[in-house]
This record gives sequence, structure tokens and C-alpha cells, in this order.
Amino acid sequence: MSTVPVVELENLKVTLGRREILHGITCRLGASGMGKAVGLLGPNGAGKSTLILTLLGFLRPSAGRARILGLDCGRRMGEARSRIGYMPENDSFIGDMTAVTFLRQMAELSGLPPDAALEKSHEVLFHVGLGEARYRELRTYSYGMKQMAKLAQAIVHGPELVVLDEPTNGLDPAARRRMLKLIGEMKQEQGMSVIVCSHLLRDIEQVCDEAVILKDGQIVHHCNLEEERRSNRRFVELEVTGDDRNLRAALPEIGAEGVPEGGGRWRLVLPAGVELEAVWRLAARQNLLVRRITHRQDTLEEIFLKALGHLAPAPEEGAGPDPGRA
Amino acid sequence: MVLPRSAWRRLYQQRLVLLLTMLAFVWPALCAGFVYLSNHVELLQGLEDEFKQFIQVDGRFFSIFMYVQGGFAVFLAALAGPGLIAPDLANNALPLYFSRPLTRWGYALARLTVLVGMLSVVTWVPGLVLFGLQVGLAGGTWFAANWTLGAGMVAGFLLWLLILSLVAMASSAYVKWRVVAAAVSLAFFFILSGVAEMIDNVLRVTWGHIIDPAWAVNQVWCAWLGVTLPAGAGAGASGLALAVMMLLLVPVIASRLQPVEVVS
Repeated sequence: MSTVPVVELENLKVTLGRREILHGITCRLGASGMGKAVGLLGPNGAGKSTLILTLLGFLRPSAGRARILGLDCGRRMGEARSRIGYMPENDSFIGDMTAVTFLRQMAELSGLPPDAALEKSHEVLFHVGLGEARYRELRTYSYGMKQMAKLAQAIVHGPELVVLDEPTNGLDPAARRRMLKLIGEMKQEQGMSVIVCSHLLRDIEQVCDEAVILKDGQIVHHCNLEEERRSNRRFVELEVTGDDRNLRAALPEIGAEGVPEGGGRWRLVLPAGVELEAVWRLAARQNLLVRRITHRQDTLEEIFLKALGHLAPAPEEGAGPDPGRA
Repeated sequence: MVLPRSAWRRLYQQRLVLLLTMLAFVWPALCAGFVYLSNHVELLQGLEDEFKQFIQVDGRFFSIFMYVQGGFAVFLAALAGPGLIAPDLANNALPLYFSRPLTRWGYALARLTVLVGMLSVVTWVPGLVLFGLQVGLAGGTWFAANWTLGAGMVAGFLLWLLILSLVAMASSAYVKWRVVAAAVSLAFFFILSGVAEMIDNVLRVTWGHIIDPAWAVNQVWCAWLGVTLPAGAGAGASGLALAVMMLLLVPVIASRLQPVEVVS
């Protein structure tokens, strides 16, 4: 049985005023019920927020279709919304309500019966670390507490999908770590699908399994971060001293390929199952002194910069998975 | 009913709202005394016949009752209305509501229900109690001859409450500060009344007051209660003017109830 994608876009175009913001996006993101997170990346004005607002039914597509959890964002949005939790980027709360009343109201609005809503509100507030402050009015909360309250209201009804818009924005390092830990728990322990919109690449790298990079209203890169991490293990950066002229010819002995970069630096591609030890041995046979040998650290930042055209692609680029490149 | 329930609780946490609501029961209590007196002529022995004729429970009685209670409702709506939408706009809470299975119309209807419900407590509900008291004291014959008074009063009040609530919601949707929103809500009625007076005097016409909602609704009330209409536009024209006013207020409110503000 094929899994339902969390988000499915078909030639999605969104126009605000006279300006087209999203230019015919087509993609399938995530798989519902798998507890995976999709990161939405892009520079300011790329269309990330527009995409999220369209998925939530706040903006109407000018053409194409958007489906969330298999439900059409136009016709079946009411049904979809009861299965979604949304944490907006900006401050959003009802100031003169206590956290527990606020959460209860939000849970009831999402369809939970009053008693269950109250019980879940207490539970979730403890879970996000606001248990002691749950009877305080939200306007008295610090910024970090408000962020946690926003997360709490997004998950209080136990949604299948949680959309988080810049969840770590403005948080101190400790609060940021806590937020990321909570997002990880939401995925792994509660099996929620998560869409994280952020400009903080590290956060996306830490919690997401997939990443989509938007630029000028189009998807310029769609990568599976898990596979990206795995494929990075195939790429090795090597630096040696000594006469390395015969190294290229010797590399096939271990089934590897390589490109010299000058000054004793090499970029190698190892076949599956071959570990760094084989490179050490090969270098020893060639009388080369290994100064440095590391797996390539192709961080999300590099992927991001390459996708945006700010970084030249590596010679072996293209060997890794890149299903959604547009 | 989640939103109305919570809003209702918050409304009555405001002391001023509670105080004004309690004050609004003074007039119905006096009217109840009037109804009692009018049905106990033995208590009026020694009084002049003119006075005895004056204290009769008829359309005029209910129109006076409605006029006073309608006025109370204006102040109560101005006081309570701004606390309904303005805080949600100020705190950017609309995206939280609309990301749930709640439509803009559902939200607006919930807020409208709160206001109409709260104002009902001081308008047609005590009015109906008075009507019931009169029926109880005067008997079934009086009811058979005057049931239209009860129906007209309830319908008339509901029409007025709808207008008041829409005006209060519109001012609440546009002005984030409660006090200013309350002032705007009140100003709407006073300014239109002033402008209507100006039109009548400057143009030497009698239809100018049609733009004054309080005056227009009074015309409709008088027609429904079978009381002689004051000079000016008729009840039909006044009703039409009120309908247009309501139709104009609906998109004004709807345009502000957006989860996101799109700057084109």
C-alpha cells in the first residue's frame, strides 16, 4: 500500500495582489504517519511562508492544487484542519487567558470534548515545561515561554501533522535545545509528521529528515537528509605528503576513484563497504604520509548555498540523491 | 459553542459590564410595577380618570419600555463589544483560530451570538417577562387580542440587537484599543443622529432621519406595536435603511477577520 504524502503540490501557483509568489510548484513531501520532519528552507521572500499559509488554507492558490494529508486544501480544509497543528512565527495568543484555559479552548476548537481538552492541556503544558506556570496569564510569560505555549497549543489535540513556522526564532541556546528536543520527541515518540519552516539551517539539519529549498517561488532543491548523510560517508577528503602521482592509478585497487586538487589534496569516492582503513593501507603502499583523512562534511549549509547558486558544485556532485531538483 | 462560552465568561468578569447589566433591570422592574398597578384598579381609587386611562398596557407602553431598554443596550454593546474581537486582533490570535476547523463566518457568528445573547438578557427577555406578567394578570382574552405586541417586541428588539452587535463588532475589528473602540461605537449612533438632523434642517426635508439607526428602528417598532409613527419616512423605508446598514457592516467586519494580512 502506498503511503499518503504529507504535502502534495501540483503546479501550485499563488498570486498576492498582482504578484505571483509561487510559480507552479510540484512536489510530494514526507509520508503521513511515519513520524518524519520536512524542513522548508529559503532566503527571505522565497515563498516559504506563502506556501505554509496556502497549505493551511489561509491563501487561495491561483492555479494548481495543494493537498495536505491527502485532503484538498480548498474543498476539504475543515477536515484537514482538525488533523493539523500550527505554530505561527509571530506572537499569537490571548493575553488575558491563563495558559491552561487558552490550551483548553484551542483543543476544544479542534474537536476534543471539554473534559479531554482540559486533561490534555495540563498534560501538554507539563510536557513543554510550563507545568508550574500553567495558571499564569499568557501576557506575563517571557518570550521563550510564549514560544513553548505556542508549541503546546499546536500539539494539544494530538494532530497528525504539525506545521512550525520558525520555532526557534529568538530563543536562547538552552530554550532552542529544548524546542528541538521536543520536536524530535513529537516525531519519534508520538509519530507526528512535522513541517519546519526556518532560516536556521542547523535546526533543520538537526530535526529534519527531508529538506526543501525554495528560491523565488520555486523549489530549487529537494533532498533526503538521511540519505545525504549516508552518501557523505562515501566521499572522502584526503591530504597526503610525498609523491602522489601514482595514486590515481592505484585507487582502483580498492575500488575507489579520485580527483587531485593540488598540494597533496584529493577527493575520493569510495565504493560501498570500503572503509577509511583501506585508504590508509593504500597510502602506505604508495609511501605517502597521510596528513588528513575525513569523510566529506557536505552540510546543509553547503547544499543550501549550492542550491541558491552561491557555491560552485563539487566535481562529483550529482552522485548523491537529488530527486526534486528543478 | 466553545468561543461564546469562553467569551461570555470573560465578559461578565468586567465589573462595569456587570454593573450596567444590573442597572438595566431597574427600568423593567419599574415597568413590572406599572403592569401590576394597571391590573389592580382598586389600588388606583381616588385617582383621576385621565391617569387611570394613562396607565394601560398597550403598544405605547411597550414602545416606551423598548426605547429605554434599547438605549441601555447601546451603552452595553459599546462597553462589551470591543472586548470581543479587538484583543484577538491585537494579540494576532486569528491564525490560531482559523488554523482549526473554524471558519471566519463561524468566528463572526460566535462573537455575534455572545453580544446578542448578552443584550437579550436586558432587552427582549425582561420584555417577554413583562408581557407574560400582563398576560397572567389580564388573562387569556388580553393575550388573544394583543399577542402581536409580544411578537413585535421580540422581533423589534432582535433587529436592534443585530444592528448594535454589528456596529460594536465593526468598531472592535478596526480599533485595537478597547476604550477608543467603545467611543467609536457610541459615536456611530450620535454622529449619524446629528447628520440626520442636519439633513432635515438644511434641506428642509423629513426623510433625513432615515440614516439615524435609532430613529429608523423606532419607526419599525412603532409600526410593529401598532403605535402612531412619528413624522418622517415610513416603517418600510426605515426597515430598508436598516437592512442596507447591516449589509454594509457585514463586509466591513469580514474584511478584517483575515488570518493573514496580505499587502498587495
